[in-house]
Amino acid sequence: MADPAVELVDLHKTYGSAVAVGGINLTVEPGEFLTLLGPSGCGKTTTLSMIAGFVEPTSGSIRLGGRSVEKLPPFRRDIGLVFQDYALFPHMDVATNVGFGLRMRHVEKKEAARRVAEALELVQLGHLGNRRPAALSGGQRQRVALARALVIRPAVLLLDEPLSNLDLKLREEMRLEISAVQRRTGITTVLVTHDQGEALAVSDRIAVMRAGRVEQVGKPGEIYESPATRFVAEFIGSMNFLPGEALADAHAGQTCAVRTAHGVVEGKVASSADGIARGSSVSVAVRPERLRVVEQAPSDGLMIEAKIEQFVYLGSKTELHARSASGTLYLLEHANDGLRQSYAAGDIIRMTAAKADLLLFPDSGS
Amino acid sequence: MIRPWRILCGVAIAIYAFMFAPIVITATVSFNAQNQSRFPPSGFSLRWWAEAIDPRWIEPIVFSLKLATLSAAAATLLGLPMAFALVRYRFPGRSLLSLLALSPLMLPALVTGIGLLQFLQLAGLNDWLGLPALVAGHIVICMPFAVRTIAISLSGLPGNLQNAAMSLGARHGMTLWTVTLPLIKGGIFAGATFAFVQSFTDYSMSLFLANAESLPIPIMILNYIEFGFTPTLAAIAVITLMIPLILVLIVQRAFKIGDFLYSAPSHG
Repeated sequence: MADPAVELVDLHKTYGSAVAVGGINLTVEPGEFLTLLGPSGCGKTTTLSMIAGFVEPTSGSIRLGGRSVEKLPPFRRDIGLVFQDYALFPHMDVATNVGFGLRMRHVEKKEAARRVAEALELVQLGHLGNRRPAALSGGQRQRVALARALVIRPAVLLLDEPLSNLDLKLREEMRLEISAVQRRTGITTVLVTHDQGEALAVSDRIAVMRAGRVEQVGKPGEIYESPATRFVAEFIGSMNFLPGEALADAHAGQTCAVRTAHGVVEGKVASSADGIARGSSVSVAVRPERLRVVEQAPSDGLMIEAKIEQFVYLGSKTELHARSASGTLYLLEHANDGLRQSYAAGDIIRMTAAKADLLLFPDSGS
Repeated sequence: MIRPWRILCGVAIAIYAFMFAPIVITATVSFNAQNQSRFPPSGFSLRWWAEAIDPRWIEPIVFSLKLATLSAAAATLLGLPMAFALVRYRFPGRSLLSLLALSPLMLPALVTGIGLLQFLQLAGLNDWLGLPALVAGHIVICMPFAVRTIAISLSGLPGNLQNAAMSLGARHGMTLWTVTLPLIKGGIFAGATFAFVQSFTDYSMSLFLANAESLPIPIMILNYIEFGFTPTLAAIAVITLMIPLILVLIVQRAFKIGDFLYSAPSHG
C-alpha cells in the first residue's frame, strides 16, 4: 500500500506554557481532501504552518509521502500553499506570479510558459496573464493564488482559510471551484477553515479541532449526523439539547432510554462518551430540521409542547423558536415545500422526533 | 466668522514665506550688478556666477558630492541589515540597538564630531583626517535616515509574501533577491537620498574632520562668510541648494519617497 500523503504523529507545539497544538495524530491519504475545522485559536493554523514548515513542532513528527520533513525548510517540502490574504507578489504580473515556483525549480522556459498557461486555464484566468494583482478582484486573486500553488505540481496542497476574504456569493462559487479543481487534479489537499458550511461542502473528511486537539475525524455526513462530542454537535450546525436522566447503563454507540420532561425517549449514546451510568444526567440532542410538528401526540417517545416565540422566514426554509413550559427554547426548521401550514408567534405547537435522530451526551465533562 | 481651516492656511503660508523668502532673496542677490549684498538688487549681472564657476568653488562642490555619495552608499549598505534585524527579529538588546541606530538624530553632530576627532588623535590616526574621517563621521549621521526608511518599508511588507516565496521553492537568498528587495527598493532609495542630503549639507561634523586638501562645500562657504557675504557666496549658496533639491525631485519621481515622510508606503 502507498504511504499516506500526510502523516502527523503525536504533533505538539507549545509557546512557553501555552499549548497551541496538544498532540495530533492524523493521516491524509493520497488524493484525499481533508479539512481542519475549528474555532479560532483551536490550533488548526499552527498545524498547517507546521506541515508547511514555517513553524517548528515542539515534538512529534510530520511525514509527507512517507518522508520525515520536520527538519526540512519550507522550500524543500514540495508543498503548494494558498494564503488567506493570497500573498501574491505585487511587483509581478499574474503570469510571473504563477511561474515563480517553476523559475525556482529551473523549469525550461518554454515548458514553464506552457504550464503557466495551463494552470491559468484551469482556474479560468487564461486571459489575465499580463495584469498586476492590484488590478484583480478578490475572487480573481484567489484563483491566481490557487494556480500559483498548483502549477508546481506539489505533493500536497495546503489551503489556509482561502475563502474567508470573499463575500458570500463568491465564497460559495469558489467553494465549488476549489472542489472541482481538486477532483480534476487529484491532488492531496489540506484545508484550514472555521466555516463549517465550507468544510461540509468540500471535504472528503473533516477533522474537528478544539483547544489544540482533534475532537473527531470523519466524513462530513458522519460529523453532522453522529457528532462524537457535545462540542462537535454544537459547533457543526445547530442542535437542541433536552435535559434528561438515564434509565439504564449504556456504552458508547448503544441505545439507552432517558426520562425527560417531555416523556421517556430512546437515543444512541455518542461515540466518544465513556458510556453513561443509570441515574446520571444526560443531554438528548436533536437537530432543528429533525423536529417535526405533529397534530396528534404520538403514543410514546418524544412529545414537546411549546409556544412559538419567533418565526423566522428564510426563503427556502422557516425557523421556529419555541419555548416549552419548562422554559427550554427549541429551534425547529422546516423546508418551505408549499405543503405545510404557516405559523405565527404565540401558536402552541407539538413537536416530535424519530428515535434514530436522538443522540445522548453525558453531562459530566463535555 | 472665520473658519478654523482658513487660519490654518494663513499660518501655513506664513511659515512657508518665512522659509523661502530668504532663499529667494539670496538667489536675487547673486544677480546684483554691484558688489553689494543688497535687496532689492540694483541692475542685473552674471559676473558673480562667472566668479562662482571657478575651480576654487567647483572643487569643494565635487568633493562634497563624492563624500555624500560614499557616505550615503555606506550608510545604506550598513543600514539594510540593521533594519532587517530591528524589524524581523526579537532579540535581547533590540531596543538598545534601535535607540543607538537613531541616536545620531538626537545627539548634536558637533559633539559627535569632537568625539571622533579626539578618538582619531588618541588612536594615533591623524592621517585619517580628511576624506576617510569625513566618510566615517558622515556614516554616523546618515545611518538613522537609512535605517528608519528601510525599516518603515520592511514593516509595511506583508509577512506572508516571503513565506509564499519559500513555499514555492525559493531559498532565503532567492526570496530576498526576488521578492523582498524589489518591494522595499523605494525605501532603500529614499533612505539613500535622505542620507545623501544629510551628508551634503552637513557642516558641524565636517568642521572637525576636514583638512586643507579635503574641504566640503559647506565648510568652504563657512570659511568665506567670515569675510562678509558677497554676491559670489550667494551664487554658491544657490548651487549648493539646487543639488540636493534636484536629487530629491528625481528620486521622488521614481519612488514616491514622500510616502516615507507622511505615511506607510503602499505596495502594488
